[in-house]
Amino acid sequence: MRKFKVWILFALLTFGVGSINAQELVEQTLFLTYIPNVQFSPAYVAIEQGYFADSGIRVTIEHGDEPVGLDLIAAGQRQFGIIGGEQVILARANNRPVVFVYEWFQKYPIAVVTTVESGITTPEDLRGQRIGIPGRFGASYTGILALLSAFGMSERDVQLEPIGFNAPEVVCAGGINASTIYVNNEPIIIRERALAGDCGSVNDVNTIPVSQYVDMVSNGMVTNEETIANDPALVRGMVRGWHEGTRVAIRNPASAYLASAAHVEGLIASPEMRAAFETLAAEQDAWLEANPDASREAIAQRRTDSYADLAQRFDPATLLQYAILLETVKLWDADRLGYTDPESWEVTQSVLIDMGILRAPLSDLSSAYSNDFLPE
Amino acid sequence: MQNTLENPLQHERKLRHLISPHLPIRLSVRQTAPLVLIALLLGLWQLVTALRLYPTFIIPPPVDVLNTLINGLRDGSLLYHASVTISQMLIGLGIGAFVGVTLGYVLGKSALLENVLAPVVLAFQSTPVVAYAPLLVIWFGSGTTSKIIICALIVFFPLMMNTLVGVRSVPGDERDLMRLYAASRWQMFIKLEVPSALPVLLGGLKVSATLAVIGSVVGEFIGANAGLGFLINVSRSQYNTPMVFVCVFILALIARTMYGLISLVEARLLHGRRRTSEQIHV
Repeated sequence: MRKFKVWILFALLTFGVGSINAQELVEQTLFLTYIPNVQFSPAYVAIEQGYFADSGIRVTIEHGDEPVGLDLIAAGQRQFGIIGGEQVILARANNRPVVFVYEWFQKYPIAVVTTVESGITTPEDLRGQRIGIPGRFGASYTGILALLSAFGMSERDVQLEPIGFNAPEVVCAGGINASTIYVNNEPIIIRERALAGDCGSVNDVNTIPVSQYVDMVSNGMVTNEETIANDPALVRGMVRGWHEGTRVAIRNPASAYLASAAHVEGLIASPEMRAAFETLAAEQDAWLEANPDASREAIAQRRTDSYADLAQRFDPATLLQYAILLETVKLWDADRLGYTDPESWEVTQSVLIDMGILRAPLSDLSSAYSNDFLPE
Repeated sequence: MQNTLENPLQHERKLRHLISPHLPIRLSVRQTAPLVLIALLLGLWQLVTALRLYPTFIIPPPVDVLNTLINGLRDGSLLYHASVTISQMLIGLGIGAFVGVTLGYVLGKSALLENVLAPVVLAFQSTPVVAYAPLLVIWFGSGTTSKIIICALIVFFPLMMNTLVGVRSVPGDERDLMRLYAASRWQMFIKLEVPSALPVLLGGLKVSATLAVIGSVVGEFIGANAGLGFLINVSRSQYNTPMVFVCVFILALIARTMYGLISLVEARLLHGRRRTSEQIHV
């Protein structure tokens, strides 16, 4: 009898626990814009290091166009995605029941990049200039108009030139002296090309970040009202997974870079590079363990030092994506990760109305976002 | 006795004449069938939206799309953007057709040139236009030039190929006959090669006209200040699905109209030619 009980216990432990684990993991597709890129490292960290799984979720990533992703979420065909805040306002104005639940980018990432040779250094200098934009849509368009508006200008005071997402090529070819860009990406690429003597007559660039003058809502996690109503635990779990991924990327970018390498082609150029990143990640883990109360500034300094350390062994072109990650991390870092400020929603809405894209304020702007799902 | 001497074509004409009372009905059905199909599709669309099978922001009701169309026509925005797309498309089609036909003719006449140029042209044509369109926008700017070039490139290949096939399809005995009568190069071209190549060439032109619409829109998607592709991009980013529908319908209408116009030209030219051919044979 005793032997029988032991067998039952063994069977329960073996099959029972296994089936509980299998049942607990809920399949979820996370919509991301653009293409697989190191800038999405929080997702890769959360998948590779098990933060989504800790919340009982198995995440698959899907990339696509932002408006398409938002429509899929609004229609309930997807439940979560990383979308711009201004898109949420526009979508809600057009009857899409979507809600912003985690502000990933704490600073609006759009900036105007200008060549040093052009002498354009301030927003006022942009008056009368030709400025490249991907097109008259999306965050870049919103960002440049917000910046111009903050300095009493409008689209009529400059010449906006749609160039697609080709700012580095167009700037280096000398086609334009200024272009809207993502502050964490294109300036680094242009500088790297200029350094290699591969950017025409351009030697360096200045950046004029929109976030320095206007506080607008940026990218974050979006879900739909139905999911919030029916499965708030799932929303909390997704937010927690993303939050932990972001936290790791800020505190230990080398570790995030390694996690990203499992999802993004070409991040690790050689076994030596992998070994260097593994060492760096382990050292940073040890440092964080020894300094549990390290300040944001101290951690930021460690990030800078990590690049300096790697730069002694690898050339800038090899470290380009790591440099992009480090610049991007700066846009996420905040005292309270994920928190979305109601004031920034008001500002964003005003910008959209000034642009003529939004006809009237939303009847209930506060329904467009929520801080209720943030981890404690 | 007379019947035995009658040409088969004349006989067919007589037969057609005999069954002419039925002809208007047959033609009428042929003409109305597409309209009935469109009406059915509209009914299905209305049904899908009425039953709320999809949210209205995914499939807007026909009435919303109609209202958007009316508003867009009233404020002139649709006409403006459509005119930009059409003008780019027509210029691109014209340039692409000229270059395609010229090169196709030259390649059709010279096997050596064909061997040299065909692999390059084919490799270029195998590359999807969306892959190199961003480069063209960088090189030629976001204005109309880049769109015209994209249109020209996209229509060039079918026209070149069709011209080449057309020129090669000239019957050898007819060519010999012309030579026998000491026809000049120009006479050979105008009286033999052009008529022989015309059916294939017009077929290529029909395909190219619809491709030109695609070329123009692809260019506008990548970077533009105006045009229906630009308007679709803007409408998508503003979650204005009815306007996206309107633009898609207008693009379809433009493509269909172009196809129809070239079909008319084709019918007229080839009908005349058929009659000539009938007369020759009679």
